Amino acid sequence: MSCASELSQSHEYLSFRSSIPLRKIVVDSDNSKAWKIFDSGPRSVACPLICLPPVSGTADIYYKQVMGLASRGVRVISAEAPPYWNLKEWCDGFKRLIDILELGKVHIFGASLGGFIAQKFAELTRNFPRVVSLVLCNTFADTSVFEYNDSAALFWLLPSLVLKRMLMGNFTTDKVDTRMAESIDFMVEKLETLTQSELASRLTLNCTPNYVQPHLLSDIPVTIMDVWDESALSSHVREDLYKSYPHAKLAHLKSGGNFPYLSRSDEVNLHLLIHLRQFDGTELSSSYLSLHKMPPSQSPTDSEESPINYFNQSEKYVQIS
Amino acid sequence: MSSRKKLLLKVIILGDSGVGKTSLMNQFVNKKFSNQYKATIGADFLTKEVIVDDRIVTMQIWDTAGQERFQSLGVAFYRGADCCVLVFDVTAPNTFKSLESWRDEFLIQASPRDPDNFPFVILGNKVDLDNRAVSVKRGQQWCQSKNDIPYFETSAKEAVNVELAFQTIARNALAQETEAELYNEFPDQIKLNANDNGRNRDGDNCAC
Repeated sequence: MSCASELSQSHEYLSFRSSIPLRKIVVDSDNSKAWKIFDSGPRSVACPLICLPPVSGTADIYYKQVMGLASRGVRVISAEAPPYWNLKEWCDGFKRLIDILELGKVHIFGASLGGFIAQKFAELTRNFPRVVSLVLCNTFADTSVFEYNDSAALFWLLPSLVLKRMLMGNFTTDKVDTRMAESIDFMVEKLETLTQSELASRLTLNCTPNYVQPHLLSDIPVTIMDVWDESALSSHVREDLYKSYPHAKLAHLKSGGNFPYLSRSDEVNLHLLIHLRQFDGTELSSSYLSLHKMPPSQSPTDSEESPINYFNQSEKYVQIS
Repeated sequence: MSSRKKLLLKVIILGDSGVGKTSLMNQFVNKKFSNQYKATIGADFLTKEVIVDDRIVTMQIWDTAGQERFQSLGVAFYRGADCCVLVFDVTAPNTFKSLESWRDEFLIQASPRDPDNFPFVILGNKVDLDNRAVSVKRGQQWCQSKNDIPYFETSAKEAVNVELAFQTIARNALAQETEAELYNEFPDQIKLNANDNGRNRDGDNCAC
């Protein structure tokens, strides 16, 4: 796959990469392991939104959230973990990361594996809470939904080609629109950049038998975001998650496939803003602006109409009569 | 595509500020009413499962701020709408006059495939109040002139006709969504091929 995908050549992606540096932060004694993060928005915000990628993703897959929410003053950090082989290690590493970044509590937006880990992290830190709220995207609360439970212990020795195959094989893409196809291309491209140990460790986390105890998280505001089309999670898995969090706000999307943060970024960003808005004016806010106020150039949603128009917000000011 | 697939219906409520959009939604979803007026800011939504013609469907009902009339809420908000509910206050003639422009606004923003047949429902709210200024007849006439839009006189406060109105909204939205799905099959496939640069797409997909 020599040619770059549509999205990675897009103006929005290029301006993201040229304006926000990729930082590598070592949090473990093992110097070879580093977290990769994109940190955007005002450093004065101590409760940012942290985005955690799925198995196949890298930190830059959330560029549309970083760019889209930036115009609303939201500090967004997209964070990609180095290889950790069990959840305890992962969570310890993540805790050190947010300490190093001098963050108090965080909001987490996690997709698939990222969402599962976010729940586990909230569960493990419940006595000294570090998680203010969760937005769970196309995710699950029990790894038994995956078929590889038995073989998870062997992933570490499989060649990366086999691991990639496991990820790419399963789906028919009979009903995708252009934006979904582009999102798939982009994710495949990202998958290609992952090393064997990155992939194997993530798949191990994803498939090792484990589950969340949602009743321990009942005081954390949750938004469940999911896509109701064929290619994403089965309705059975989705329903299980609703049952786990009866108090959650349900942000269903009609379509978008597995990667709605890329293929339906405007809708996803709108839901993220609605979720984050409840913390407006508190010390837990993820933005230095009021998310309740429509910005001068208005709406949360609008910034996606054209990928770059968050740069020229002021020109779009419309007076309310 | 199996017809038993769970369906999501997106409904958008529009109308001048203070006509009772949020109250109607709350009455329908939570069976609650509050006399206290709190202006809606931005847009928000509630979901509710309902049964329409033996099918369980999930309604995602979007409430908007009436003040934002001249501000576009953006495409994401309108995208995929299956029914648009226009609300006015029967005691405030101005809000009735605005219906036309709300309808136009919706059609421009959402640009549905078939604007002439896109399902709208009109609700004349606050019929519990005594100082009524828009007659039933006037409301009905306007609706008839617009391709027979269903018209309901409601009271969010006393839960008059709210359930009935939303049943109709759900039914019409369902008809719209089913039709939209039929349309969907084709253009998407063509787009995919046009975009496919000769790459083998089978298997280009990631599970997690």
